Amino acid sequence: MSAGDVTYSENQNGDDASGKLLYQLEQKLERIGERLNPILVKEVRQALKSRMFVIVFALMLIFGWAWSIFGVLLVLSPGVYYNPGGPTMLCGYFFVLAVPLIVAVPLMAFWSLAGERDDGTFELVSITSLTARQIVTGKLGSAIVQMIVFSSALSPCIAFTYLLRGIDIITVFWVLGWTVLISILLSFFAICFATISRSVMWQVFLSVVLVLAFLIAGFSWSSVVVQTLFYGSLPVETGEFWVMNLFVMMMYLSFCLLFTLAAAGKLSFPSDNRSTKIRYAMIIQQLLWVGWMIALALQERDPGVFLVFASCAGFYWLVMGALLSGESPQLSPRARRDLPQSFLGRMVGTWFNPGSGTGYIFAVTSFLGFILVTAFFEITIAVGDGINWSRSRGFDNRLMFAGLAWAYLTTYLGIGRLILLFLRRFYQLGIVASLLVQVILLVLGILLSASAQVLVNGFQNNDYTALQLGNWAWTLAEASDSRGRLPLEVPILIFASAGVVFFVNVCLSLPEIKAVREATPDRVIEEEKELHPERFTEKGGPANPWSDDPSPGSGAEKPSSPEG
Amino acid sequence: MNRPMIELRRVHRFFGDTRAVDDVSFEIPAGEVFGYIGPNGAGKTTSMRILATLDVPTYGDAFVDGFSVVNDPDRVRRRLGFMPDYYGTYANVNCTEYLDFFARAYGLIGRERAKSLKYVMDFTGLDGLAEKPIRGLSKGMKQRLCLGRAMIHDPSVLILDEPAAGLDPRARIELRRMIRSLASDGKAILISSHILTELDEMCDRVGILEQGTLLATGSVADMQDGMRATPQVGDPSMTEIHARVLNTGASLGHWLADRDGISHVVVDGEIVRFTYAGDRQAEAALLREMVLAEFPVVEFAARTKSLEDVFLHVTQGVVQ
Repeated sequence: MSAGDVTYSENQNGDDASGKLLYQLEQKLERIGERLNPILVKEVRQALKSRMFVIVFALMLIFGWAWSIFGVLLVLSPGVYYNPGGPTMLCGYFFVLAVPLIVAVPLMAFWSLAGERDDGTFELVSITSLTARQIVTGKLGSAIVQMIVFSSALSPCIAFTYLLRGIDIITVFWVLGWTVLISILLSFFAICFATISRSVMWQVFLSVVLVLAFLIAGFSWSSVVVQTLFYGSLPVETGEFWVMNLFVMMMYLSFCLLFTLAAAGKLSFPSDNRSTKIRYAMIIQQLLWVGWMIALALQERDPGVFLVFASCAGFYWLVMGALLSGESPQLSPRARRDLPQSFLGRMVGTWFNPGSGTGYIFAVTSFLGFILVTAFFEITIAVGDGINWSRSRGFDNRLMFAGLAWAYLTTYLGIGRLILLFLRRFYQLGIVASLLVQVILLVLGILLSASAQVLVNGFQNNDYTALQLGNWAWTLAEASDSRGRLPLEVPILIFASAGVVFFVNVCLSLPEIKAVREATPDRVIEEEKELHPERFTEKGGPANPWSDDPSPGSGAEKPSSPEG
Repeated sequence: MNRPMIELRRVHRFFGDTRAVDDVSFEIPAGEVFGYIGPNGAGKTTSMRILATLDVPTYGDAFVDGFSVVNDPDRVRRRLGFMPDYYGTYANVNCTEYLDFFARAYGLIGRERAKSLKYVMDFTGLDGLAEKPIRGLSKGMKQRLCLGRAMIHDPSVLILDEPAAGLDPRARIELRRMIRSLASDGKAILISSHILTELDEMCDRVGILEQGTLLATGSVADMQDGMRATPQVGDPSMTEIHARVLNTGASLGHWLADRDGISHVVVDGEIVRFTYAGDRQAEAALLREMVLAEFPVVEFAARTKSLEDVFLHVTQGVVQ
């Protein structure tokens, strides 16, 4: 129904109760429709009429019907009363549904945003009152609507499999539920990818990368589903199964949040604060990670858990650190308006401010925090178990591994940031370039160390030597191995270089760290007073240590910016 | 407070070594149509995009209703309608759906949105094509649709980049009428066009841009007036005048040649052209003398220059 058709008559009454009820329901739905994300409304209107959707939908129906006939002939043999045909039928329908859900829908989400950025319509949308986050969630909402349409079309077939032997309702829901969730995550990922570049050449390249990634994800998930349906069953009666699902779900949601904020950040106006919320999301992920690590360590009583979680955390902070230290070191006046200005606020909040230097320090200290928390809990658990923690099995190795991982992270991220700062004098470089510089550095670290060892020792000596100082992979492997032979000078040199690089980076980050709040322009305050007079009270004063001084003209009297 | 609706304050925009916009400043008050003239690559679109919050200046700032386009783009966007030099339409939607989407995107809900849609449809004359798919619209109708999109949220500032490009004469006249009507509602309008005669009739003031630099600004009449005393040859302080007399062109030529302050007399049948060193009062006195000398004068005018003349005079035809 077009907007022009909407009637807003208040006097219309139904002749009977049911008519009145229908009328009220329609009014309610209309009101809900008014509040829907405009992008979602537009995208659904467009997507459901698009040729690609129609083709994919038609193909899915054809293959669904074909499998229904073929599958029935295959499984409904005379042995139907004792042969379990459910898994076979469900597996077939899963494949029919997985292709549109895991490949087509995320790819359509990618092209929807990339296409708009290419043909200029995105520019027209970006100058409306819609926020970047609304644009991202609207696109995702449209992808979810398509998923619902695809799933609904096959739902009678899937319900039919439940009537057959060998399949239970939990398995059906588990398989389909996670397939939809994976499709949503991949759609988030695709939308994030679409924000990377506006160049057609890059978009074609990125779409090829995405298709490959979707295929890999599809094959991986399919193998899990096939394994579950044919060679095992879901251990639904055990607590671990549900705990594991909860863990995956929580990490899943945190990554969805991160992807949304990242995509919205890329789409937002250059002077916007694109980074602070992303850093909050990273801290949430870190807290979740720490929480699950501790829970698992308490459950398993295996210190090896710490090593696995620390490795993952190191990799995570390496990627995030590379992206954060690739931010622009210039803080826009708009972003400066919301900087913390009380002592405690600046102490804690400065590292959440956008900027290359604060990003680097944020990543490095966050990983250090993770290591310290890990060490603390390992000791606590050991003490709780009555074990002398300093002599507990492999503690030294784990501590050395974590320390060296932090030192390598600090050094490589720091050097990468310094290179980027130098290159930015000549070229305009973004966060993708920062990531690229980091990858090159990490590869060079391995290659140069290996080459040096070959040049000095020849091909005969394959043992670890101090020449592998830059080879983070071998050094860390050596550190984590209880039989490893790490020369004493190696950790000393690595920690020293980390200290030097960190110091240089902190010195270069001083302008960012010292940035102070900028007063909100009078014109903005004037309009805010007109729009929200209730937010401007006569008496001020900080309500807590994080609040700001209510000094006039400091901008403190301004409430948080309505546009966030 | 009487603040300009649009203000560019020393705006610079560099793309590498190219100075797309180089120190441009001007103001546009409410209710004024400001024409932006310049050859291709002069920096018109770049500065319009900066105003529309689609780009940021390298130095300087621009303001819409007192809000900075760099630091308060959200507030600027609420007050601004932008019509770029491309259509920016979607496939698979009709005119109503298209406008409805933008109305929603500008936060219009319920009756307010329905009212706004109806007004825009009426204003742009698209009401008869409401359900027609956009891909089936003519160029002129698409331009109307895009103008409708730009004004769907009733902005106080309109920025129109080449809105008349590709339109037939009737559509151009209608567009001109629409723009004048919007200005009379108090909207500040910045409009660029290559069709200078269009701007001549539509704009209150114009700005001439070349190689990113604003060479001249002022009302069309002032600009023409400022150039009326500049003949092609001779003293630039003299006014070029042409007079038409019935059957006595040659006599008038001789009569003028004998008078002080008159030079370069050229007789072309009934038309006599000459340059004259005098102000408007002196011109009026000369005309009176011609009439008293019984010359049958039917035309007497200082040769005014068209906006095209002004444009050609001010610019050098250099592109970057």
